[in-house]
Amino acid sequence: MNDAISFTVGFSHGVEWGWPIAVYLLLAGISGGAMIISIVTRHFKQEVENSALTKAGSLVGFATIVFGMVFLVGDLEKPLYFWKILINYNFKSVMSIGVIAISFYIPLTAVMFFYAFEKEILKYFGFLSFLVGILRPLRPYVEFITLWFAIAICAYTGFLISVLIRFPLLNTALLPALFVVSGLSAGNAASGIIATKFFKEDLHSFDMKILHRVEWPIMIAEVLLIVMLAVSLLIGNEYQKEVFQAFTSSQFSLLFWGGVVGLSFIVPIVFNLLLGRFTSKSAGIYYMTAISVICGVLSLRMFLLYAGQTFGA
Amino acid sequence: MSNNGRRSFLKGIGLSSLALSVGGYSAVATNTKESQKKYAMIFDQNKCVGCTDCEIACKKVNLVPKDQFRMLIQDKTNPKTPRERRMVRVSCQQCEDAPCVNVCPSQACHRDSLTNIVTMNADDCISCKYCVVACPYDVRFINEETHAAENCNFCVDTNLKDGKNPGCVEACKYEALVFGDLNDKKSKINRILNIKDSLRMKPEFGTKPSLRYIPAVRLGV
Repeated sequence: MNDAISFTVGFSHGVEWGWPIAVYLLLAGISGGAMIISIVTRHFKQEVENSALTKAGSLVGFATIVFGMVFLVGDLEKPLYFWKILINYNFKSVMSIGVIAISFYIPLTAVMFFYAFEKEILKYFGFLSFLVGILRPLRPYVEFITLWFAIAICAYTGFLISVLIRFPLLNTALLPALFVVSGLSAGNAASGIIATKFFKEDLHSFDMKILHRVEWPIMIAEVLLIVMLAVSLLIGNEYQKEVFQAFTSSQFSLLFWGGVVGLSFIVPIVFNLLLGRFTSKSAGIYYMTAISVICGVLSLRMFLLYAGQTFGA
Repeated sequence: MSNNGRRSFLKGIGLSSLALSVGGYSAVATNTKESQKKYAMIFDQNKCVGCTDCEIACKKVNLVPKDQFRMLIQDKTNPKTPRERRMVRVSCQQCEDAPCVNVCPSQACHRDSLTNIVTMNADDCISCKYCVVACPYDVRFINEETHAAENCNFCVDTNLKDGKNPGCVEACKYEALVFGDLNDKKSKINRILNIKDSLRMKPEFGTKPSLRYIPAVRLGV
């Protein structure tokens, strides 16, 4: 095709999905990741009492997805019409499928929250005691279903933007996988912070050791997926090659190297692995790296959204 | 061969061709009655001079806000060859497999049931901008006044409804825009597409646009 016939102007304003969507993608990832981790550890420990990690995971899982809705609805230009999405479904649309998943997932996380804080809730709201009889026998089933929905929520946020065929950085099968993995990483960090800070979990308890153990495989998977994504663009077609510069020489490369690589990989590696012997006793260092990982995951979503929508066919 | 033989032969040809054409015509007529409309448009770069009368008409007919566009003409003239003017229409490509329709969560962006044209139900649009980012051609936008996503819909709810051609086609003095039904074998658009090479924008996305472009031929080759 000759250049003179293909137009180069568009009617949108560049980055149409901005930071509120990135924050929502982060919160949905944290929610799904925290839920997955707390359900899986509870299952493998054959836990009977609600541990601090279970409480933290349920609280984080419930609170972040509800808070995420504020950003999701707030980003609409007609937020008061959001109910239209609940009555008109389009099953070809990832967003519609996501809305269906969320409308199951939020009540499920609420029930999980109820399980984890049964005693505390009943202390103040005694009239809810009838719920215990109904819900308690269902707990293993609710946990099982919630686990799958948590994975689905993380994955759907990836599919949501990977269907945008104009943007090679986003239109890739790696994205849902990357979102599941980075969601786990942020969810892990968030439930660790909440468990130690608010539920008095000891920094070196068995549960916290589990969190630290799974940190590294998750991080390795995350690094691998990001490298694969970058390489697939570098060896791709004309459009994909152009997108590769997002990593190296664009206004977003600082966000990538400083935010994604620095905050979510370098900081934990330096402070937890290399200097582990000196820093492992310090709660401050632990909170610092955990917050840094969450910021890194936010940077990853910001980078993908902004660079993704900037470089396109 | 006898004289009589030739006469009967000619008679036979005349009769059979009559029968064929009547039969063929009736077949076409029943076809168009049963099948759906399939509207398409041609932009002929050889004829467009870049007067932008189409842009003005579009805004008038469809009440598009002042600094927004449903369609516009981009000047793609190579500065090295300023005498070879090259204009190109920027607007919704009216894809047969439209990503905007597929991604819309509230079915506001839909295909008109009568005409098969991709259009918008502004009342159902929640302005999530999913269609705007999903469009491979970047030709959708959020209308500043209605706060609903919008695209060129071949004037389906304005001019076409009144039995007229789309505003831009009516306004074009140079016949650079041709609009018609591809299922109507005798339409002007089909006659042009039968004899001229046309192309679709970014065919690699596989969306099968209904807007066809006839590129300008190089002068003095």
